[in-house]
Amino acid sequence: MKGLRIGLTLRVVAVIVVLGLAVFPLYWMFVTALTSNADLFGQDARLIPDFSQFGVFVDALADGKATGWLLNSLTIAAGTTVLSIGLGIPLGYALSRFRFRGKAVMTIVLLFTQMLPEALMVVPLFALFRRFELLDSLTGLVLANSAFVLPIVALILKGAIDGIPNELDEAGRVDGARPFTVLTRINIPLIAPSIAASAVIAFFHAWNEYVFAVTFIFNPEIQPASVGIANFIGELGTPIQTVMAVAFMFTLPAVVFYLFVQRYVVAGMTAGAVKG
Amino acid sequence: MTVVEQQTRAPGSVSRRRRGRRRPSPQGSRWTPYLFLAPAALFILVFQAVPLAQEIFLSFTRTTLLNPTESTWVGLDNFVRIFGDEDFHRTLRTTVVYVIACVVGAVGAGLAVALLLNRSFRGRGWARALVTVPWAAPGIAVALIATWMLNPQYGIVNRFLDAIGLGVPGGAILDSPRYALPAILATTIWQLFPFTSVVLLSALQSVPKDLTEAAMVDGAGPWSAFRAVTWPVIRPTVGLLALLMTIWSLRRFELIWLMTKGGPVGATETLVIDLYSQAFDSKELGSAAAIGMVGVVISLIVIAGSRFVARAAEKEDTR
Amino acid sequence: MKTLPFHRRATAATSIIALTAALLVGCTSDSGSEDGVTTVTFAASTFGDPGRGPQLLEWLDEFNTSQNAIRVAAAAVPYPTFGQTVLTQMGSGRGPDLIRFDMPEFEAASEAGLIAPLDDVIDVSKYKLLEQPDKFMIHGGVRHGIIFEASNYAMFYNADLIPNPPTNYQEFFDTARSLTKGDVFGLAFRQTEAEEAGVWQDIFNYVYGFGGAWSDGTNLTINSPKNLEGLQAYKDLYDANVIPRGADAATFRRMFAEGKVGMELNNGGYVTATRGQNADLNFSVAPIPFPVRSQGSILAPIVINKASPAQDAAATFIRWALEPENQVKLQEILGASSVATVTERSAESLQETPFLTVFDELTPSSLPQIVLGFEAKTPDIRKVVVQNVIAALQGTVDLKTALDRAQQQATELVG
Repeated sequence: MKGLRIGLTLRVVAVIVVLGLAVFPLYWMFVTALTSNADLFGQDARLIPDFSQFGVFVDALADGKATGWLLNSLTIAAGTTVLSIGLGIPLGYALSRFRFRGKAVMTIVLLFTQMLPEALMVVPLFALFRRFELLDSLTGLVLANSAFVLPIVALILKGAIDGIPNELDEAGRVDGARPFTVLTRINIPLIAPSIAASAVIAFFHAWNEYVFAVTFIFNPEIQPASVGIANFIGELGTPIQTVMAVAFMFTLPAVVFYLFVQRYVVAGMTAGAVKG
Repeated sequence: MTVVEQQTRAPGSVSRRRRGRRRPSPQGSRWTPYLFLAPAALFILVFQAVPLAQEIFLSFTRTTLLNPTESTWVGLDNFVRIFGDEDFHRTLRTTVVYVIACVVGAVGAGLAVALLLNRSFRGRGWARALVTVPWAAPGIAVALIATWMLNPQYGIVNRFLDAIGLGVPGGAILDSPRYALPAILATTIWQLFPFTSVVLLSALQSVPKDLTEAAMVDGAGPWSAFRAVTWPVIRPTVGLLALLMTIWSLRRFELIWLMTKGGPVGATETLVIDLYSQAFDSKELGSAAAIGMVGVVISLIVIAGSRFVARAAEKEDTR
Repeated sequence: MKTLPFHRRATAATSIIALTAALLVGCTSDSGSEDGVTTVTFAASTFGDPGRGPQLLEWLDEFNTSQNAIRVAAAAVPYPTFGQTVLTQMGSGRGPDLIRFDMPEFEAASEAGLIAPLDDVIDVSKYKLLEQPDKFMIHGGVRHGIIFEASNYAMFYNADLIPNPPTNYQEFFDTARSLTKGDVFGLAFRQTEAEEAGVWQDIFNYVYGFGGAWSDGTNLTINSPKNLEGLQAYKDLYDANVIPRGADAATFRRMFAEGKVGMELNNGGYVTATRGQNADLNFSVAPIPFPVRSQGSILAPIVINKASPAQDAAATFIRWALEPENQVKLQEILGASSVATVTERSAESLQETPFLTVFDELTPSSLPQIVLGFEAKTPDIRKVVVQNVIAALQGTVDLKTALDRAQQQATELVG
């Protein structure tokens, strides 16, 4: 009995340590944002936030630069989500429901593209975008990001449609529905959770994306937050408090959002990466 | 791959799924599938296949970033040069070390946390949610906070290490050829372990509880119970995670680039970092492309190898 | 059906995303010109600096309000990635219309034919240009740039911590050592690979200050005994732990402004920036106390991108900038730097900043931070040298071997 008690205590301690490790860096971001210069450059670290410094968040937002970045990120992420889901649903449907020439090739291509690092594709994409006048535009980033996230979205959705019994499709077809109507009326409502999962994956892929954004965007007014924040590491920097405040505001929506939908996202990621 | 199948299933379709096997049947005209496929296929062709083809071409040329439209065909020169370069050997070694450590670290830590959270206790839902936080944080933000925490003068990590008497002299962890890679690894694993642990947690759900208990009653220690009962069930998931972690680690860029740019003295230079700095610092698009091709070939070998291992394991199981 | 709430939340989340997407994508327009106003983008790393950054933007605004046809928009590309970012864009036939370069990138871009010649659009005979820095703007008889800022390197020191500035290297070293205790460091310089261009600027002062040089004009002399001596002095300071190791310029300049760093070798442009961070800091400036009075200088040309569709508008801006009153304003903003033309320092600013004359007196002994005879290859040589010097700092090789290796690699590079 006593052994059990000790075991239990150990486990509780272990859980707390793990949670502490998981959350601490974000907490630290918050604390650093709310630390006065005197404390920051002092001999000892200040471990709790100093709420009298809260103005740093207000200033960061009032400045307009950071809000502009966040809005740009939102635009890019939203555009990427819509485009990749819009293209991914029909692709997933085709891969799941039809037998056709080139299906195996298509599946292999989708898997293969997941290994390609953005850094490899950035140079040829740059040339391509230059030809199509897509440099320095949010549209260009939406297209590039969608290309990278589309395969995983399609594979997740294919998996989800695989899970719907074909009898339902057939019933629809008996009623005279065409394939497109079957897809929109019967399949899409049933795979809504998977669509949500892939939407979240697409959204945050674009929200976090850095390499394309840093290379393709020159106009600071349309810079997304990932680049804006990374650029803080400048010659004569912005105060670290501001850096951390903006980084925190960039991180928080992602974290909160994930907490709600994490289950679908994780399931989707694993599925997408190995399907086929 | 049964575990994976199980996870793909969206909760809404759980009960429906069991009924009847689906069989893909042709519907509409024979062109119908291509209509559904065409927009996405065209998209992938333009934004992935064409650039890749161009990159393959570049790897056989000498091309500078300052004039990227003029390429001189040099055959295999770029490959000969990089393979003859000591620094590239170091990059390959660093990449291997980084990838293996990421896989072992992320899967190991993930498994430990999954086992820990698999028992029922009060607030488990909260614990499971909180543990996902690192996974959700954007890479840029992670690189930034990690760099700040590792700041030699004011970083909390150094202050802590100094306090317990383990301080690095000078404190410049990210500037020391010895400690930079471990620091990057720790950051990477910190970001990855939530993912592996959540995936493993759901795999652990399908381990029969009574079997574990029976094994314990029979006098098996926790370790042998784990090996006899739990391990066989989660093994495919572990294999899958290992593959995923490998591919992701081969691709990882922002975290390393923003924390060390591959330095100091190449200590954290992986293939992707080398590729990027060849292209954008040294402005040599040709050798950058060649390095990229080496990376692509390595990834292909890893995937082929993992398929082979998985198939062999399956065969053994059915015997 | 326990999972329903999750399901619903997820679906709701998707709809929100989709909705925002539809809204935002619908109403976002990409960059471009409107209402017949030509927009000219001007990229400079200094726009992001505290203190002078905002003042420079105001200066641009003066141009924008002075006429209706052209609008100059500032693009603050951060210094550590400036060259890489801008050269990539220019190489692909894009990029900002106006660029404030540092010398190494200026030389590389000029050799690659990415810069528009200025001879036909700017009549320099109308202006009293400073001769010494201006001669570096001309390549093979073609003018590629106009000096935007020229600034000599000197020793900044915290006058509260150091009443009498050191006058030779030994005193410099001892001062740095005696000041370093607790959370104060005697000295700060750049020493990380992430700040390659910055390290190059810093070691330049040690190499030239000890009588060395990167080349004799026809051959590279990276591993010459004098260079070794100067870089050994730099390494000794690193080894003596009198600098905040690993700190980047952004951090240690902030520390200097906070009184946590005693000395720093820096250019005159940072007088305003330092005041911008802490107006109360009591600091002063003296010549760098190394054996030879020879130091680096920042020469920052403003150039027009050859690929720019708005070259005429960009030239109009440069002509505006060269007008005497605008030069004076620019000079006041840049602090101790000089500008393209001869300007008088006002009695007011001399009163406020008596040490301005220190910078001015250093002009004859200052050199741009390029490798003479190998100007266009400077960025590549810089990379090799900095990597090898850092390898020596980190103790993976000794300094002599590192410099020999740098010499060999750089020689191969320049062919």
